[in-house]
Amino acid sequence: MATDLRISNISKIYPGCVANDNVSLQFKSGKIYALLGENGAGKSTLVKILSGVISPDNGEVFLNEKNLKLSSPLDAKKNKIGMVFQHFNLFETLSVFENLSIDATEDNKSLRVRINEILKKYNFSIDLDVPVLNLSAGQKQKVEIIRCLLRSPKVLIMDEPTSVLTEQETEELFISLKKFCDEGILIIYITHKLKEVLSLCDEVAVMRKGKVVSVSQTQNEKVETLANKMVGQKLAKIKKKINISKNKDEIFKVKHLNFYSDDPFETNLVNLNFSVKKGECLGIAGISGNGQNELFQILSGEIITPDTSIIFRNKEIAKLNPKQRREYLMAFSPEDRISQAAVPELKIYENVALNNFKSSNFFEKGLVNERKIKEHSKKILSDFSVNTDNVELKSQFLSGGNLQKLILGRELITAPELLICYNPTWGLDVGAINYIHETLIKINNQEKSTILISTDTEELLKLSDRIAVIYKGKLSKIMPSEEVTPEKLGLLMGGGSID
Amino acid sequence: MALYFFTPFIAIILTILGGGIIFYILGFNPIEALKFYFITPISNLYGLSELLLKATPLCLIAIGLSFCFKSNNWNIGAEGQLTFGAIVGGGVALLFYNQEGFYILPLVILAGAIGGMIFALIPAILKTYFNTNEILVSLMLVYVSKLLLDYLVVGPWSNPEGFNFPETRQFSDSSRMPLLFESLRIHAGIFLALAAVMLSWFILYKTYLGFQIKVSGLSLKTAKYAGFKGKTMILVVFMISGACAGLAGVGEITGPIGQLHRMISPDYGFTAIIVAFLGRLNPFGIIFASLVVALTYLGAETAQIFLQIPKYTGQVFQGMILFFLLASDYLLFFKVKILNLKKNELRH
Repeated sequence: MATDLRISNISKIYPGCVANDNVSLQFKSGKIYALLGENGAGKSTLVKILSGVISPDNGEVFLNEKNLKLSSPLDAKKNKIGMVFQHFNLFETLSVFENLSIDATEDNKSLRVRINEILKKYNFSIDLDVPVLNLSAGQKQKVEIIRCLLRSPKVLIMDEPTSVLTEQETEELFISLKKFCDEGILIIYITHKLKEVLSLCDEVAVMRKGKVVSVSQTQNEKVETLANKMVGQKLAKIKKKINISKNKDEIFKVKHLNFYSDDPFETNLVNLNFSVKKGECLGIAGISGNGQNELFQILSGEIITPDTSIIFRNKEIAKLNPKQRREYLMAFSPEDRISQAAVPELKIYENVALNNFKSSNFFEKGLVNERKIKEHSKKILSDFSVNTDNVELKSQFLSGGNLQKLILGRELITAPELLICYNPTWGLDVGAINYIHETLIKINNQEKSTILISTDTEELLKLSDRIAVIYKGKLSKIMPSEEVTPEKLGLLMGGGSID
Repeated sequence: MALYFFTPFIAIILTILGGGIIFYILGFNPIEALKFYFITPISNLYGLSELLLKATPLCLIAIGLSFCFKSNNWNIGAEGQLTFGAIVGGGVALLFYNQEGFYILPLVILAGAIGGMIFALIPAILKTYFNTNEILVSLMLVYVSKLLLDYLVVGPWSNPEGFNFPETRQFSDSSRMPLLFESLRIHAGIFLALAAVMLSWFILYKTYLGFQIKVSGLSLKTAKYAGFKGKTMILVVFMISGACAGLAGVGEITGPIGQLHRMISPDYGFTAIIVAFLGRLNPFGIIFASLVVALTYLGAETAQIFLQIPKYTGQVFQGMILFFLLASDYLLFFKVKILNLKKNELRH
């Protein structure tokens, strides 16, 4: 039986951010559809609406012309919409069979028969009686898929399914998905990986900033065309003056940066080498999840990797922790403002004290010098135009933009020689973005250096003197930014190569 | 925020109501039973002294635990640290069993604190260097120390003139905590507890260590980003916690008990976990909570005497306090939505 899923004028607005802006899409069974977009483009919101996790502010979902009311995940299940999330929802210590029987309605005997049928039909080899923790990521995903198949779904939504799979497992997954499709299950495949879209899917919808920007047949697309649609074409013309002078000193040099992790949700970094000159902004572009998190933590000293050499102002700092690196005049602004760079439950002045460098005298002989911290905080609030002068305010009451100003202020008031920031304007409004961009340009003009890790190409092209792209933990060649076009960036970010 | 310090009171009221219902079901007049439980024990001077006597170790241990809990370290083996502190302190006291001298008691107390500290370092070191789970390790070490105590009082340390009773010699008077009043059991250990309250308030709110504990408890990611020395901090909070439990242990054996035997603590180390949370991990809140929980110990004893209710009802009350505290937190800080579902819909 043919399935027809139609999304009509869906909108979802979060405070300060339009996650879905009047999204309309149509899917028909017999094809595999890709939903492509960067992080924050609105894919996840749309999927959560389809699976009943959140309700849209506006708009409707139709399945075979029936208007669906999806107010909870149960509604999605009832309407035969199955969903495999990126993070698995399995009990690790229970066996595969126990996991599958938890929400089954039939008795164990007939359930086992049905599971075995599915295993045989799709050539899955999984031992039903081993604990889930002994399975590989690919096998766990198969268990999730089986769970959906047991309910004979009409629609199967896969959210970034290959992020934890090996190449081999990815291929197997694609074969299964094609089989499901042939059997009439409508498949919606969510990803930001361009090559997968081209090799697996028939049609692709691209989302950007909450809107659907294009719907097309994949056979008419190439990696570059998709990348352009995904990241947008706008090239900011307000570039700062390029201040590369070839003979400036290298202030920061990274050699042989390698990182291996056992955690399948982390990205390994492979032999990164780069350097930053005095007064320069080095931009590191990339679609999120390609190793930026790990890179930032290694540069800040939160993760110490063996055999890496990091030279900063002629000193080896690879073994130092973040606090010690700050003493050498480095500063860090992480991506996660709310749970890493600052603690929402702490007052503003307490958050300022997190950057406790020696000459600050915040803590003299182990005691808190509250007066000093508060004075210092007041100066930050006024110098960086945070819209409050109350240092006793809990920082959870600051808006994203003001919180980011506070964090940047805290990091910059020590006049660091190098600032490393990761997505500094993520989720902020235009005013705050401009302020932060101006600040970053200003510190370059004062002959201080910055490393800007960002997923926002526009921002990178505007601020960077040189740009490199990180993809699957590998760094591309570093290019002067006047040679870089959005097309080139898009291609590299999607895993293509130039030259 | 006000609500945060208010819920413990709601929990206590609910516990009293719950206790009344239990007494009613058991066939007692609930008002009268509750009176025996919560009022009779403290209606005379002796009772008040007993209340403070029981609150002292609870308060000390809970103060120590608050350092661990505030920084996200789940030390639940305070009972073991108490026992080991008592063993080490008691060992020193036994060395001096036939001697007098002003220096003996401070030595004994110091030995007890160090004993607790060393015992708490075991889960801390295993956690920091071998990535073990401190909950399991600290809990299992409780039984290690209790069995060690058992062995000592039956074997090598048993009183040679004690007719094979499982107990040591009586400590000399110089190893005993001075009594505050003639004929009451309340002793100088209460000053140790009060000093711990003051000191912990100072450390938690006025020092760099306290700041690091606070930040680590709220967000480990931030602590890492700020470059706090996470391992050192874990060791320090466990040491503080163990020292407090050790002091509590030594306070018991040099105070009301006066020797080592098998039953030196009616699970003060475990009950103090409830005290710490009921006091909201706040030093002054913990004073209040330790008095409330101490009352459940006393009430259980009075109820056993007057109503022939087993004294283990004390533990029922302690359990109810924690249960209602967690429940009121949950209900006050989360929104409860009642869904109208048929049973088989739930199963899909």
